[in-house]
Amino acid sequence: MSSGLYSIGVTGMNAAQLGLLTTEHNIANSMTAGYNRQRTIQATNIPIMTGAGSMGQGTHVATVERMYSKFLSGQVNRAQTGVSELDAYYSEIAQIDNMLADPSSGLSPALQEFFSAAQQVAANPASMSARQSMISMAESMVSRYQGLQSRLNELADGINGQVTDVVQNINSYAREIAELNNRIVVAESSVQQPSNDLRDQRDELVSELNKLVRVQVNEDSNGSYNVFIGSGQTLVVGPQTQEMTATAAIADISTIVIGLKTATGNVQELPEGLVDGGQLGGLLRFRSEALNPAFNQLGRIAASMALTFNAQHALGQDLLGQASGEGNFQGDFFTIPSPVVLGNAINTGTADISANFVEPDYSTNFYTNLSASDYRLSYDGTNYTLKRLDDNNSWSAASIATLSDLVDDSEGFTLAGTGTMDVGDTFIIRPTKQIADSIGVNVNIANDPRLVAAAMPVRDSSGVANTGNAKISNTRTIAGYSPAVATLPFTLTYGAPAQFDGYNRQSGISNYDFSGAGLAQFDVDGIGVTLTTNLVDDAGLSADLQSQLPGYTVTVNAPGDISISRNGSLAPVTITNADVNAMAAGFVNSAGTAGTPAAAGTLTISPAAAAAQNFSVTIGGTTTVYSGGIFPYDPATGAKVTVNGIAFDLNGTPNFGDTFTIERNTGGNADGRNMLALGKLQTQKTVAGGSASYQDAYAQLVSDNGNRTRQIEVTGKAQQALLQQASNSREAMSGVNLDEEAANLIRFQQAYQASAKMLQIGSKLFETLLALG
Amino acid sequence: MRVSSSQIFDTGILGVTRNQGDVYKLQNQLSTGRRVLTPSDDPVAAAQALVVSQSQAVNTQYLDAQGNARTQLATVEGQLSSLTDLLQNVRERLVQAGNPTLSQTDRQSIATEMQARLEALTSLANVTDGQGEFLFSGYKGDTRPFALDSTSAMAYFGDSGERKLQVDSSRQMSTSVAGDDLFMRVKNGNGTFQVQTGGAVTVLPPVLPATTPTITVNGTNQGAARMDAGSVTDIGKWQAAMVDTFWADDVNAGDLRVVFETATTYQIYDNSSPATPVPLLATAATFTPGQAIALRSDTLDFGANIVINGAPAVGDSFTISQSSNQSMFDTMQNIITALTTPISGTVYSSTEYSNAIGSEMVNVDQALDNVSRIRSQVGSRLNDLDALTDVSENNKLQYSGKLSDLQDLDYAKAISDFTKKQMQLEAAQATFAKTSQLSLFNYI
Repeated sequence: MSSGLYSIGVTGMNAAQLGLLTTEHNIANSMTAGYNRQRTIQATNIPIMTGAGSMGQGTHVATVERMYSKFLSGQVNRAQTGVSELDAYYSEIAQIDNMLADPSSGLSPALQEFFSAAQQVAANPASMSARQSMISMAESMVSRYQGLQSRLNELADGINGQVTDVVQNINSYAREIAELNNRIVVAESSVQQPSNDLRDQRDELVSELNKLVRVQVNEDSNGSYNVFIGSGQTLVVGPQTQEMTATAAIADISTIVIGLKTATGNVQELPEGLVDGGQLGGLLRFRSEALNPAFNQLGRIAASMALTFNAQHALGQDLLGQASGEGNFQGDFFTIPSPVVLGNAINTGTADISANFVEPDYSTNFYTNLSASDYRLSYDGTNYTLKRLDDNNSWSAASIATLSDLVDDSEGFTLAGTGTMDVGDTFIIRPTKQIADSIGVNVNIANDPRLVAAAMPVRDSSGVANTGNAKISNTRTIAGYSPAVATLPFTLTYGAPAQFDGYNRQSGISNYDFSGAGLAQFDVDGIGVTLTTNLVDDAGLSADLQSQLPGYTVTVNAPGDISISRNGSLAPVTITNADVNAMAAGFVNSAGTAGTPAAAGTLTISPAAAAAQNFSVTIGGTTTVYSGGIFPYDPATGAKVTVNGIAFDLNGTPNFGDTFTIERNTGGNADGRNMLALGKLQTQKTVAGGSASYQDAYAQLVSDNGNRTRQIEVTGKAQQALLQQASNSREAMSGVNLDEEAANLIRFQQAYQASAKMLQIGSKLFETLLALG
Repeated sequence: MRVSSSQIFDTGILGVTRNQGDVYKLQNQLSTGRRVLTPSDDPVAAAQALVVSQSQAVNTQYLDAQGNARTQLATVEGQLSSLTDLLQNVRERLVQAGNPTLSQTDRQSIATEMQARLEALTSLANVTDGQGEFLFSGYKGDTRPFALDSTSAMAYFGDSGERKLQVDSSRQMSTSVAGDDLFMRVKNGNGTFQVQTGGAVTVLPPVLPATTPTITVNGTNQGAARMDAGSVTDIGKWQAAMVDTFWADDVNAGDLRVVFETATTYQIYDNSSPATPVPLLATAATFTPGQAIALRSDTLDFGANIVINGAPAVGDSFTISQSSNQSMFDTMQNIITALTTPISGTVYSSTEYSNAIGSEMVNVDQALDNVSRIRSQVGSRLNDLDALTDVSENNKLQYSGKLSDLQDLDYAKAISDFTKKQMQLEAAQATFAKTSQLSLFNYI
């Protein structure tokens, strides 16, 4: 009986002691990361069945339980990986945000100062100090571009370094988890009890791993964890790990990408879309969503500015009087490299692909169609395909040259290639990414400010003897001007409307009977015409002439007055070799038709070399090309004329004989017209197919990045709140509450004291027995 | 709810740091005065601010350009004013010179003065601006615009270029006046046509009844007939007549010659081919001194007339031609020639002299008109500049206001927010300190 008392008392003391130990363990670990509170699970010992019934045999501690829920922990991990991703993303993008924030260090002030300096040159074209100041401002703007780009480069390098570090950490966590898997299996199989603290450690590692990258975990029946990343790529299986790698991308060795080391030791690159969550996910997302677009947008502004400025500059004339193609004339104000083309490291073909910017388009001003995207060129054995990577738009053609023709206008660059591409070979084309870093001010211009082309190479003048009030104005060079081609000077002389040589019937001839007196023969512009029959009247004659003169129009102006005009030309028709019969019938080089001349006259171009050029004449919105050295001019409408890259406007009423001359702007050192045109580029739509100014494009970069930063910041706060909730739920279950533990201390102390009292009572009972004896 | 002890600390610290973050940001805004510290604070406002700041910078460029334009145009205006004075002085002297009682010596002394005026005119035309560039040479800033050419006539070596400045987004303003426009392109005569005396010696063809017997038209008029500058009565008719097929040679359209076949009758000839004049009237018209002679043919009215006073000699004539450009220098030279040529009988009668002075007087008036035309252009540009500057100054204020709206801090609101946040932070700190001290261990 008393032995029963002793033994039950001892079980109680033991259980209370274990309870105290567990409580102390909880108190000791109350601030240990990843610790889940434990508690003892007490159960009754197996009772002894006696005649009196089932006799309780005291208590024992069945197990020490870890207060852990894998669902709550999973929630915390998922929230945590989101928070870590957004934190990493935010801390990177905030750097771009801060860089663009500073009003004094952004691109904007440099751009404004440069154009302001350009206006000063326009105001004082001959001033060397104004020119020098413009060049200095250009250099400072270029270095501002470079500064912004190098800041972005630093971020890109930083990402490369961080990705490498994170991947190393992931690998070391994976190894530790595998090691713990091993120890837990061994520990638990020997005592058949959960290894609480080892499991806590392992769960903590999984939680840490989630901070680096999102992982999925499942537990084997033997208690070991399998860990997967991405869409199921194995990281840990039981005691085994698969190593993650961070290596230079085969498509672009300047970028570190992640991969998995296969069994054979090769590296298999992981598509970045597969990996998300955690610091790694944040870094990769930042790089593809924010950093690369920022590079490209900045580069697009730089490239568009350099290309459009150069195109306009090339139309000018420098202080030495040189224009495009002459002497030491420098068409390019900025130097700009070609787009970057990167061959894939595993290409097997011999192809060498290059890309070049096309000349900017011109409508009312120069503009480029460059996009802010990278491109991939691939070959499938039949077709070459170029894909724009930001929206996956693609073009295909059977040859690179054809492909180049397809895209050169819409995308703003051309492609050329030597050698052959094998099936599967790819090239990455980056039209804009590195441009902000590499543009510069043309060294020749920087060394000699006189080479800044502030003037226009052409000017106009009206003849001093002109008596009319017509004005020639707005004479300028436009896209396509080359002094080698344009024939200057040339003069336009206003004259009466062209009158055509034709037929005047001599008096006394009443019908056109050529049948009696034999043939009437003559040549029209060298084309032989023969009249043989009685043609009866003007209509009959003109019909016969018309049938023999395709390409001409024969008109009856008045009875006995017929004119012959060459289609599409205002040049006079020449009648020669008129024979006796024709002369008798009245064929002469007549002065033309009688009657009132039309209000419109003609402008005749001299000298002959200039007259041979194609003149595009726009009257009231309709453009016609004249090549005969003569075109019509109507004082009521005026005309806009272009020829070989020279444009001018004519307005007002000239008198016959008035002349207008277009000539080279010799000695035009006080002319700042080209600089005015250059200055206007600041506010004109020059970027993105003529839809945005330089500043608009920069504002777009700032706003895109600002919006994204804000979005990440807001999402980050929401995710933080989610984490807070999830971790509150987990803490509610698994966290240590010291007050609770204090209560437990007292509880187990009292249980211990009570059990000890039982021993005392047992002892007293025993003494009573002994006293009896 | 069960709360773990570490949660009490974590939550307390979180509350404090979050409030600290807000207070820090408000403090930053208050100390810089800017609401938008980084673009992410308000991406739309940040982008707009960039665009507005460019507009502001461009507006400043326009203001600078307007200032430059004003200076340059004021310089031009000063020269034009001197030029007006000079020409008016010439005109006064011409009025004096028209006095028929002047002696050769008097005329010579006026000629000497005119010579000095011509030199003044030349130096005025070749004036340079503050930067040493010629003011009236067009684009050729370094080229002396007016000098004697190989034929000793004053020629223009500049060009027709007008220097321009971008004074507004859509306005390029000329800030110079091309020398040819000012000095060279002055219409002679009445601006539409010019009347001169005499012309080529011509024997009129005998085929016409009015001219029997054959008469010879004098090269220099011998009579006392004085002409005026003529006037256009119907410009529409004149213009229509100029393009009439009547003129075989378009370049000389408008060349007419009024020939006195007797002292009281005249005939009008088509003088476009002077060697073969064609009479335009079937019968000669009767001449009455002082009466307007209508320029016409039997079929065509030119819409213009000339008035001839005094008695012409038989064979005297007056030629009419469309006005052409005559430089101020040529006009001055003509005046000097008219003054210095000795008056002697049939070679250069006093009538010829007063006709010459009369027609050059008209040309000086034309020159004055031309100067005042250009002065009014310059003046209206200066007026435009004032208006543009008003607009630009106004824009400047608006842009500043807009920028301020976009970027600047509302201090009242920010300070009130700051006080609120400060209270929150203090509350969080105080409650955290209290909560963290609560422990059951204190009582056992």
